[in-house]
Amino acid sequence: MPVINLWAKDGYLSTPDGNSIYFWGFAKSESDPAQLPGPYIIAKQGETVTVNLYNTLSEPVSITFPGQPGVTAGGQPVRPQYSDGKLLSFVNHAEPGGMMSYNFTPTNPGTFIYESATNPHKQVPMGLYGGLVIRPADFKPEIKEYKTAYGAGTNTEFDREYLLITGEIDPYLHRAVENGKPYLVSKYLPRYWTLNGRCAPDTMLMDRVDYLPHQPYGSMVMGLPGEKILMRYVGAGIENHPLHPHGAHTRVVAVDGRLLRNGSIDLSYKRFTVLVGAGRTCDQIYQWHGLGYTPQNPIPTTLPNLRNMGVGDAGWTMWSGSPYLGVKGDIPVGVVSYNEFGEYYFMLHSHEELQITNWGEFPGGMMTMVAIYPSLSPDVGLL
Amino acid sequence: MATVKKRFGATDGWVNMPDGTSHYIFGFVDITGVPENQIFQYRGKATLLAPLLEVYEGDEVYLTLTNLGFPGRPDLDDTHTIHWHGFPNQIPLWDGVPETSLSVPVGRDFTYYYKPLDPGTYIYHCHFEPVEHIQMGMVGPLTVHPQLEKDLGRKFAYNDENTAFDLEALIFLTELDPKPHHLVASVQAFDWTEYRPQYWLISGRSYPDTVKPANDPSLPQQPFSALIEAYEGEKVLLRFVNIGFQQHCIQVLGIPLKVVGLDARLLRGYNGEDISYGRDVIYIAAGQTVDAIFTAPRAGIYPLYNRNHNKNTIAGTAFGGMVTEIRVLSKP
Repeated sequence: MPVINLWAKDGYLSTPDGNSIYFWGFAKSESDPAQLPGPYIIAKQGETVTVNLYNTLSEPVSITFPGQPGVTAGGQPVRPQYSDGKLLSFVNHAEPGGMMSYNFTPTNPGTFIYESATNPHKQVPMGLYGGLVIRPADFKPEIKEYKTAYGAGTNTEFDREYLLITGEIDPYLHRAVENGKPYLVSKYLPRYWTLNGRCAPDTMLMDRVDYLPHQPYGSMVMGLPGEKILMRYVGAGIENHPLHPHGAHTRVVAVDGRLLRNGSIDLSYKRFTVLVGAGRTCDQIYQWHGLGYTPQNPIPTTLPNLRNMGVGDAGWTMWSGSPYLGVKGDIPVGVVSYNEFGEYYFMLHSHEELQITNWGEFPGGMMTMVAIYPSLSPDVGLL
Repeated sequence: MATVKKRFGATDGWVNMPDGTSHYIFGFVDITGVPENQIFQYRGKATLLAPLLEVYEGDEVYLTLTNLGFPGRPDLDDTHTIHWHGFPNQIPLWDGVPETSLSVPVGRDFTYYYKPLDPGTYIYHCHFEPVEHIQMGMVGPLTVHPQLEKDLGRKFAYNDENTAFDLEALIFLTELDPKPHHLVASVQAFDWTEYRPQYWLISGRSYPDTVKPANDPSLPQQPFSALIEAYEGEKVLLRFVNIGFQQHCIQVLGIPLKVVGLDARLLRGYNGEDISYGRDVIYIAAGQTVDAIFTAPRAGIYPLYNRNHNKNTIAGTAFGGMVTEIRVLSKP
């Protein structure tokens, strides 16, 4: 039976424009830093999960598990908590310096969120949220037919998987909480938008880079041509975000941890933009097959002299300089290319385009890339 | 399969709102077939929307983008691209994202090549500093007709006889915040997190301009009409496009809609299940398209508007914005 310890703590987030933002988040242990989002929880359908919440913050904190039936806190069914007759938490909370133990047994596989339910208008935007993945009971990653999101026979096989959790940051809320000053929630106005707690271009960095100690999760989606890439979107902010991946539609196979299927009728559908609602999760399969061009089967147009074109106007490029996968071309002198060995990059971003800025400056915010490599270790894209 | 050769120029221009205001835009203009020594006559003549790109499944499309520069902002040497939003299996070279391939500087050309294999309603737009270039107006409609139309000699949204229609109309949704347009025209910076639109547009116009005819002389750079006219009993395909920065919900009063396609995909399940559905309100997020078909009821005028009623305004005053009319006529 998995036992997960989550410590509610504070810390500072880094944004690519040099800002440092006070936040609240969950940590894996007393000595680990608070992180945004909280540690991923991976559990199995039918296996009871225990989550022990240790609260080091100055106000009560709780955790809800939307979509999980029969959650208990301290052995009793969870129930709202009131203070002086006023609602304080949707479920039982841990007092400052205290702890609360939650139990639940997931009945369905899927992608879910966990988040604070105490002063959630403040605590969730402050960062007290994380992703929860429930494996199907028959999950066996070493066997293709059993490496699925929703169980064998549900057409949800995948080769690699990524959790992409959306959020927003209004720095004035965070500053008010840091300084114990009042903040009018009706004035909520995000200036930063995050994927897995980071703003672009930090979203494209690897997991656990040591200069982002509170933001351990990258959002670079990596795969091979034709692979089934499972993208698990989680809407952890309080706004909706239309996420648009370039290069391919996604096939939406589940919403809110529920397989899009009615008996034998498959209800999945393909979209090029999926609206990730607040509190919503969407499981989707992305497949990019390419157009079949290689140096032996060349493109029907001529590549211009790249010195006459705009390459790296942002100060850098992700491009190889070649039309072909796995081929490096001639990037103009003076342009920094982050391309490794001819992989293709496809932007994945919010189409409310002001959200791909950092406080108004493009590029930034809720944006990352899908990288299609000519070859890739099987260890990439594991949760 | 035809070979389609088009050439679009990227430049700037001005659009008019019903309250008498004019707003600086960036955009595209069709310069297909214009002799090389005359293309500069199209500087400053961008249109909102950008020209319709309408092709058939299997066509080979060569689309040349020429950066004509901004006569209203000669200091601004931004590059441009064309991003075919939603093109499956695209390669970065033709995806039009400056950070992942190349963009077109002032005075240069680049030819994009597309062989679309999936019919439906798409969008194209510039992807250079997209928050600015999209809001400034570099957006256009793009439709791919199915092979079935050629096979049967009738009109269909997809390769499915259940998507037959008689006429089609574009409901292309954007917003306009006059502040960044004014600041860009006056060489000033804008904090995009302060985006607050005042005008809500269907196909580049605010009501009552939406019901004026196409190419109306009072709207020289807004050539698209959003007036829909059909005879009783005709099937009308509405191609909804949202390339604004907000979610919209469009209602047609008195006419039920059948949603047959989303994001240029026929609404079919994994095993071909028919998952089309009926709606009275079309919710559409930024960067989505929706194909819906209705059968024109008895003769009359049926308003089409945004159920976010605050968007049926012109700088705060009703009626205006995202409103148009479906005029159903008795059969002659």
